[in-house]
Amino acid sequence: MLLKIFLTFLKIGAFTIGGGYAMIPLIKREVCSRHAWITEEEFLDGLAASQSAPGSIAVNISIYTGYHIRGKSGMMMAVLGTILPSTFTILMVAILFNQYADQAVIKRAFSALKPAVVALIAVPLIQMPKKCGMNLKNAWFPLAVAILVGLLGVSPIYLILLTIAYAIFESRR
Amino acid sequence: MLLSMLFTFFKIGLFSFGGGYAILAMIQQEVVIKNAWLTEAEFVEVVAISQMTPGPIAINAATFIGYHKAGILGGLLCTIGVILPSLIIMMIITLSYLKLKKLKWFQQVFKRLRLVSVGLIAAALIMILGNAVQSLFAVAVFAVSFVCTWKFKLNPFTMLIATAIFGAIFGSA
Repeated sequence: MLLKIFLTFLKIGAFTIGGGYAMIPLIKREVCSRHAWITEEEFLDGLAASQSAPGSIAVNISIYTGYHIRGKSGMMMAVLGTILPSTFTILMVAILFNQYADQAVIKRAFSALKPAVVALIAVPLIQMPKKCGMNLKNAWFPLAVAILVGLLGVSPIYLILLTIAYAIFESRR
Repeated sequence: MLLSMLFTFFKIGLFSFGGGYAILAMIQQEVVIKNAWLTEAEFVEVVAISQMTPGPIAINAATFIGYHKAGILGGLLCTIGVILPSLIIMMIITLSYLKLKKLKWFQQVFKRLRLVSVGLIAAALIMILGNAVQSLFAVAVFAVSFVCTWKFKLNPFTMLIATAIFGAIFGSA
């Protein structure tokens, strides 16, 4: 059983390229439909919990599912499976990159990749406000965060702690 | 050095709410500004590489930066550091999420933190914009990749591979 958990998450980790969000449909298909380890409702609860905990969503949902299926050892198997393929791949890439970073062809590729990365970050910025309930009244809040962190170099840690404290205060009134 | 890297990535993991791109501002501030483990240009390269390899972007970035500064052991330690907070917090949340989600303060905290995430993504954009988009060529690549990702829903991996090939041929070293 533990081996099966490990192998399933290994497959999930190996075949999702392009960040954590891309992993979610695959994880759902594997753990809800194929293996029926948890129900769809449990999965959705887990997804919500994964979004509220810090860290990568894909790793969090693996932790949640692994723990649900088989306690702490299931959790460790799921996490290892999820991150091993990417850790291995990125280590290989890092080793190669250190050797070939000075090649002209690599430099040319990155001259185009850099602005493309900016585009990748800009797109969710347009799509997210709707999803997270942003409106004219509360838009000052993310705007202030962007200016404080992006322009003035304030650490996000303080803003996150302050936000948590403020939200708790708000709900107690 | 190793210990301070482990601690830094633990901190990044602990305060990385909202997943994916929201974590970038945090990583950049700790790694580029505070510790100077990477230059700004190298940071943008790491983001591109992290998106082109399987797995969550924060973990890929942690492994890459760790390897870059301190070899394979550094890569592994930074990876562990960044997922450790998720493991601890997800374990607690998994056990009590059904109770927690009914609490008003818990809901309010995450409603507010979602807005912070939007601000943090904008901050990441501001921080890398100057370094990544410096030429007319870069502006053109940005515009095309932006439209392809936003309007044509091209996935990040395909978009980046196409951009890399395009850059290798037409880019500047």
